[in-house]
Amino acid sequence: MFDATVTSGAEFKDAALLRPIEETSRNFYYVVAGLSLVVLIAAVMFVRQVWFGLGVTGMNQPVTWGFYIVNFVFFIGISHAGTLISAILRLSKAEWRRPITRMAEVITAIVLAIGGLHPIIDLGRPDRVLNVFTSGRLQSPLLWDVVSISAYFTASTVYLYVPLIPDIAILRDRGTKPEWLYAFLSWGWQGTPHQHKVLERAINILMVMVIPIAISVHTVISYIFSMTLQPGWHSTIFGPYFVVGAIFSGIAALLIVMIVFRRLFHFEAYLKEIHFAYLGNLLLVMSLLWFYFTFSEYLTGFFGHEPFEMKVFWYKFTGPYAPYFWVMVSCNFLIPLSLLTFKKRNIIPKVLTASIAVVIGMWLERLIIVVPTLANTHLPSPVGIYIPSLVEWSLFLGGVAAFALGFAFFSKFFPLISIWEIQEGRERSVADVTERLQQYLPTESGGNVEVLSV
Amino acid sequence: MSRWGMVIDLDKCTGCGACITACKEENNVPYVSPDEAAQGRALSWMTIVTEIVGEYPNVRAKYIPRLCMHCDDPPCTKVCPVRATYVSDEGIVAQIYPRCIGCRYCMAACPYTVKVFNWYEPEWTEGMERVHNPDVSLRPRGVVEKCTFCHHRLQKAREKVRMEGREFVDGEYNTACAEVCPTKSIVFGDLADQNSQVSHLARSTRAFRLLDDLGTEPKVYYLTEGEKHV
Amino acid sequence: MNGKTIFGLQVASLVLIWVLVILIGIWVVNLLRLSYELPDVPSATFGISIIAVPVFVTIAGILTYVFIGLQKGKEKE
Repeated sequence: MFDATVTSGAEFKDAALLRPIEETSRNFYYVVAGLSLVVLIAAVMFVRQVWFGLGVTGMNQPVTWGFYIVNFVFFIGISHAGTLISAILRLSKAEWRRPITRMAEVITAIVLAIGGLHPIIDLGRPDRVLNVFTSGRLQSPLLWDVVSISAYFTASTVYLYVPLIPDIAILRDRGTKPEWLYAFLSWGWQGTPHQHKVLERAINILMVMVIPIAISVHTVISYIFSMTLQPGWHSTIFGPYFVVGAIFSGIAALLIVMIVFRRLFHFEAYLKEIHFAYLGNLLLVMSLLWFYFTFSEYLTGFFGHEPFEMKVFWYKFTGPYAPYFWVMVSCNFLIPLSLLTFKKRNIIPKVLTASIAVVIGMWLERLIIVVPTLANTHLPSPVGIYIPSLVEWSLFLGGVAAFALGFAFFSKFFPLISIWEIQEGRERSVADVTERLQQYLPTESGGNVEVLSV
Repeated sequence: MSRWGMVIDLDKCTGCGACITACKEENNVPYVSPDEAAQGRALSWMTIVTEIVGEYPNVRAKYIPRLCMHCDDPPCTKVCPVRATYVSDEGIVAQIYPRCIGCRYCMAACPYTVKVFNWYEPEWTEGMERVHNPDVSLRPRGVVEKCTFCHHRLQKAREKVRMEGREFVDGEYNTACAEVCPTKSIVFGDLADQNSQVSHLARSTRAFRLLDDLGTEPKVYYLTEGEKHV
Repeated sequence: MNGKTIFGLQVASLVLIWVLVILIGIWVVNLLRLSYELPDVPSATFGISIIAVPVFVTIAGILTYVFIGLQKGKEKE
């Protein structure tokens, strides 16, 4: 076991990771002020909505769900990045995960909080939300959502916090202000072997537990749609489709966050091109998977040619939603495929472009799932057009700003890259990986087993 | 136990819309401005679906009054997170306005699109508040509402029947739309009562239900137009 | 802030988390009771409850395990 108490002096190689906490530039205050303003405007708009009623939005009969539900699904979808990727990479002992896991876990925690608020923003009577506690029905898919998202939020916050403890202890030992906060949160961490064992065991249990919870979250969100009888929604593929889409959008969001902070805080030594290459490969795989599910979904609908299903189909393919639909296909499939297949040169710009395209494409996908089905009812409806209002746009931008603001605050108090895991990587990984390799390779009878130098 | 249902004879329906107006007045359904109505915010528990059938010169219009079907297996009650909509013992799908949190899931789930939402605080034109029906509660903004088979009339009729110590007479409890229909194409009553008019009509060979294959078991039956209809 | 206050706050935070988990448990049991009384598909409610509540209890348990483990593993000063 190693000793993580070297936190200062020439031996502390990772001082760069603590610089965002210890030094605050003027730009930081400007950015926080700007983001806070956007969030404030969104809050004011929400108050206006509660005062006057949901009429201030663009929703109507029959399109009774709009931006709020789209953003709800979108934000919760991005949450799959974090914890799922971090847990899966830890579980599969992928060493390249070390600088990534912290940012991934932070994304999940922030985005779940924002996404979890969206159904409340969407309510006609948010003042009555406590009715869910007094007379709720666990039989309703909406309540499955409440339970699932709460469980995921709790699990992912704990999964963020527990591996954060040694880093908090580093900050405490360096005397970073506010000292009481780090002393409080570090829970008495000293880096003793027993404590390491406890931490490792807890992380091991959590990383296994978090995966089914995470998968259940987006599956259950898809059930909100697929449990109804509406064309375009009542599809058995929705559970896995949504999970794949969520992981897809999550990886893209994670890549954007990584690239942004790499640039802002000069993490080039830690987030190297190979990390983006690997994650870029994962993004490509998810893009292909997404295309597979989407193709399956629409081919099934088209082949069966049911009248109600076809109304929704043509609405998306050639009707009013055609522009959004084909932009979505380009953003989610064509652009990532072309950029990520051959990315030896200019990895980071290519990966960044692909990720931005995917985030936009996946947001469009949520829009395309929610609105066209509502607009094309079984029985004829007079209108069926949805134009989001200023209130909805403000709350959308407010959500994005809140996300950035959450990151800004986190980066001010905690390291965005897990210091102790990097140190552990330096000290232990080579030996660990070599040992594992020798287990995989065929045993030689009598001959020498060459120790591979990595 | 009664099972309240309705039969609408499409042969007799002229599409006049009296049922729509009567329902609005009887149940204190709010008015909206023309702009709001154009946007699709009009609140109407009863609507008429107009279908143009055929091509010129063999065109005709079909008028299908659409109201809550009061399904026996309603998709809307299954998805409500707070039980603000539920099926009563007598088959009426009811709304509990003080409990509704306005999530509009039931609206998204209803395949007939019969539920409406109070997008703003309800309004009526000047003076119309004075003709509100005192038997029907006013809804605040942010809650879902729909046809209730005028069950306030059921409550009044039941009180009367209990006081007089007798059974219901067919036609004693009638909805506003059925009462006002000039051609008597809307008939309302107890489907569990074999002798009621609505039971007879529901057993007709012309009887069908909308979106039957979805399995919602609606209790509003329609009678197709007869052969002689031109 | 001295060590004792900090320790007190830490224990308080852990207690708070258990309070939260117990409240969630009470809520779920309340909904379960409602679904039996009405009745309104009690089987579904029961199924969801039996999975959901243990998840929260396990998470709180892991946190408690970590806290106690860390306190136990401290080197004697």
